[in-house]
Amino acid sequence: MSNQQAELDKAIEREYEAGFTTDVESDTLPPGLDEDVIRHISAKKNEPEWLLDWRLQAYRGWQEMPHPRWAHVHYPKIDFNSISYYSAPRSMADGPRSLDEVDPELLRTYEKLGIPLHEQEMLAGVQNPEHAADEQQGSSNVAVDAVFDSVSVATTFKKKLAEAGVIFCSISEAVQEHPELIRKYLGTVVPKGDNFFAALNSAVFTDGSFVYIPPGVRCPMELSTYFRINEANTGQFERTLIVADEGSHVSYLEGCTAPQRDENQLHAAVVELVALPGAQIKYSTVQNWYPGDAEGKGGIYNFVTKRGVAHDNSHISWTQVETGSAITWKYPSVVLRGDNAVGEFYSVALARNYQQADTGTKMIHLGRNTRSTIVSKGISAGHAENSYRGLVRFGPRADNARNFTQCDSLLLGEHCGAHTFPYIESRNPSATVEHEATTSRVSEDQLFLCLQRGLDEEKAVSMIVNGFCKEVFRELPMEFAVEAGKLLEVSLEGAVG
Amino acid sequence: MNLAEQLKEQALTEARRQAAREDGLAALRREGLAALERTDFPGRKTEAWKYTSLRALEDGHLSALAPARELEAPADFGGHRLVFINGRFNEALSQLPDEAGLEVIRLDGSSEAAPGASTEFTTPFAHLNAAALEDGLMLRVAANTAVETPVHVCFVSSADSPATSHTRLHLELGEASSLDLIEHYSGDGPALTNAVTELHAGPASRLRHYRLQSEQTESLHIGSLLLVANRDSRVESYQLMQGSRLRRNDVRAILAESGAELDMRGIFIGRGKSHTDNQVCVEHRVPHCQSHQLYKGLAGDEARLVFNGRIHIHAGARQSSADLTNKNLLLSRGAEVDTKPELEIYNDDVQCSHGTTVGQMDHDALFYLRSRGVDEKTAQRMLGLGFVNELLQALPHEGIAEWARPWLGQSLEQQ
Repeated sequence: MSNQQAELDKAIEREYEAGFTTDVESDTLPPGLDEDVIRHISAKKNEPEWLLDWRLQAYRGWQEMPHPRWAHVHYPKIDFNSISYYSAPRSMADGPRSLDEVDPELLRTYEKLGIPLHEQEMLAGVQNPEHAADEQQGSSNVAVDAVFDSVSVATTFKKKLAEAGVIFCSISEAVQEHPELIRKYLGTVVPKGDNFFAALNSAVFTDGSFVYIPPGVRCPMELSTYFRINEANTGQFERTLIVADEGSHVSYLEGCTAPQRDENQLHAAVVELVALPGAQIKYSTVQNWYPGDAEGKGGIYNFVTKRGVAHDNSHISWTQVETGSAITWKYPSVVLRGDNAVGEFYSVALARNYQQADTGTKMIHLGRNTRSTIVSKGISAGHAENSYRGLVRFGPRADNARNFTQCDSLLLGEHCGAHTFPYIESRNPSATVEHEATTSRVSEDQLFLCLQRGLDEEKAVSMIVNGFCKEVFRELPMEFAVEAGKLLEVSLEGAVG
Repeated sequence: MNLAEQLKEQALTEARRQAAREDGLAALRREGLAALERTDFPGRKTEAWKYTSLRALEDGHLSALAPARELEAPADFGGHRLVFINGRFNEALSQLPDEAGLEVIRLDGSSEAAPGASTEFTTPFAHLNAAALEDGLMLRVAANTAVETPVHVCFVSSADSPATSHTRLHLELGEASSLDLIEHYSGDGPALTNAVTELHAGPASRLRHYRLQSEQTESLHIGSLLLVANRDSRVESYQLMQGSRLRRNDVRAILAESGAELDMRGIFIGRGKSHTDNQVCVEHRVPHCQSHQLYKGLAGDEARLVFNGRIHIHAGARQSSADLTNKNLLLSRGAEVDTKPELEIYNDDVQCSHGTTVGQMDHDALFYLRSRGVDEKTAQRMLGLGFVNELLQALPHEGIAEWARPWLGQSLEQQ
């Protein structure tokens, strides 16, 4: 009995598993934001003049904008001058020669995150030609770009990707190597003055990933970016730009964690997707930023702008599993600009303790015969607040456009909240939209059936919740579907009873 | 000065002028004025008014009161009839009921029994109504009284130049009593009806409420409706309306005590350049309540239908069951439907759902009728009526269903 109790206590006390910090010597700007900081970031990255102007314009615009308050989340006023806008692990600058020379703390970080060794080397920036062969033979079929605080640490499988003509690198590198692509597409999907946090990001973004898939190419492997905030009092402002040229295909996954700290940290990212005619982009997110402790202290403020533009016959699909962050404010959207374009959004958002999530999607149908599907599953436990906020809009030109939306919420415990705010705007008589939403708790009958068959309550709830989310997990790339399932299980521990 | 500030200025001037009068309504007016001073008029950035602009009020409706007039009586559904013209009671057209247990109190300042305005009203228009009220009506049904004949309250607004009439209807339904109440708005000309209706259903009472809005297209209507359902009461509310230049309804239904049940249905029809905005909020404040809602909307020509249906389950309101369905048909290019069903839930022991659709007339059905020699207009009208028939058939008052059928058909035909 007492043994069981101890096990149970352990399970309940189990906390954020990725909450370690890494003592890496880093190069961090003092907190504060002004034009000099932006000039400093830009100079540090050796950016061209036009990009600095673009940043400064964004900054000036941002200063005029009011802080948005419409989301169903509550948090104290953010002091944007207490944040440091640039932090880079110093060990990168010296360029280690082998794994032995790499800061062991950094390696340990990757180990904890379960990244295979040969990838660790790449991520740590080991410059050894011998290892290039390993890269080719790597058992994993995922290319990774890791962003540590403000900079991209390394990108794996570059060579193999280059053979296919795929460009996958950090955005700072792309600014140097492929300025014409950056200049053509940066800010075309999310303009610099799009919203408060996007404007801030445009002004101070430090790194992120850039992907370009040439016409007709099917990217040979999954691409992935791994984000981690490490330094205290830093914000992370990364920018991702994916351009899939005509008839190409790419599947991209991002993951993120952050250390356990008592103060709130800000993460304001921008993701832009461009799907040119006939292209297909699948963007999956497993978001596991530190959610704060059981009393709601600390955690990441995750204020993200994600949007894709789908041209004729293209396909953009967002899949997200959100279990982390103290506050999530995120609406991956698709502008269905071309005819016959398809947009999809599959989401699982889990909020427990004092987490708050306000997330959903926007599907803007402009072209003819455009179709979109939205499946959103929200789970709230403890004192969490979980909101779905979505917009489906049919423009006057969107003949025969079609949308189906399903939002289901599951409530665990009587102090949590689940909310749905779906905006539907139709201006085309031949368009059809259907929206359904349900809210309930775990069915007593299902629970009873599981308990009767000898499962304990926690396991039973976890199983039922997994079943509830199945529709979304199905959309994730295989490896990550397993990870997402596990993540959900871990996050649910201690939430039942 | 932007529009919101202008409107506030106009409203305050009008309210201050009325507040000077010392009679039975003085307390209500003072409360209204104080609340109005605290409340801002909605501007372009006000979320609840996202789709509705008050630009139509630029003509100065709020600065003038609709003049007293003599008009013919509107449709009769049988039963007791009480007629207001431009916000003033018309004795000649009314038949005051003399049923035991049913008390009719005029809110014209002559009686001291005037009820205060409920704090649940939050819009500046409801505050203005209280602050500028000249004449209203209060109905009181004694406990254990079943009022056999429906009470029909008509509010007619008619004016040649922009002006406002404020109407107020207050009902208190005693324990275990029952009543059928018809609230009927009609009128023409550029008149704004600023209506406030407050209905309280006492324990174990039954209320059947019809809210008919058939003003002509150039009229404006801004209405606030508050429904409060107490222990084990059952409230049915049927809302039928056609669009006009500006039509906005803020409906709030509060399930205030356990066992209350609410059934709300509506038909919204928009033709021409009309604008219809319905904001419905159902609040489950206590455990063991039920609510069901079904609304259907038809938008043709360049009409715009706006709907917002919120279900709010408060913390601790266990065993709540709530559902909402909103179906819309877009009949032509240029028309627009903006709908938002919302759920706001702070409790796990609930069964809540909502569903909404926006679509078009079934092409196959249209083709079927056309192939049988029915012309397109008639076919559209038949299918349009078919779409709302489910709701019409369910109207318990046959007279209203019969009155509504041709009226809806007519609105469907106007092209």
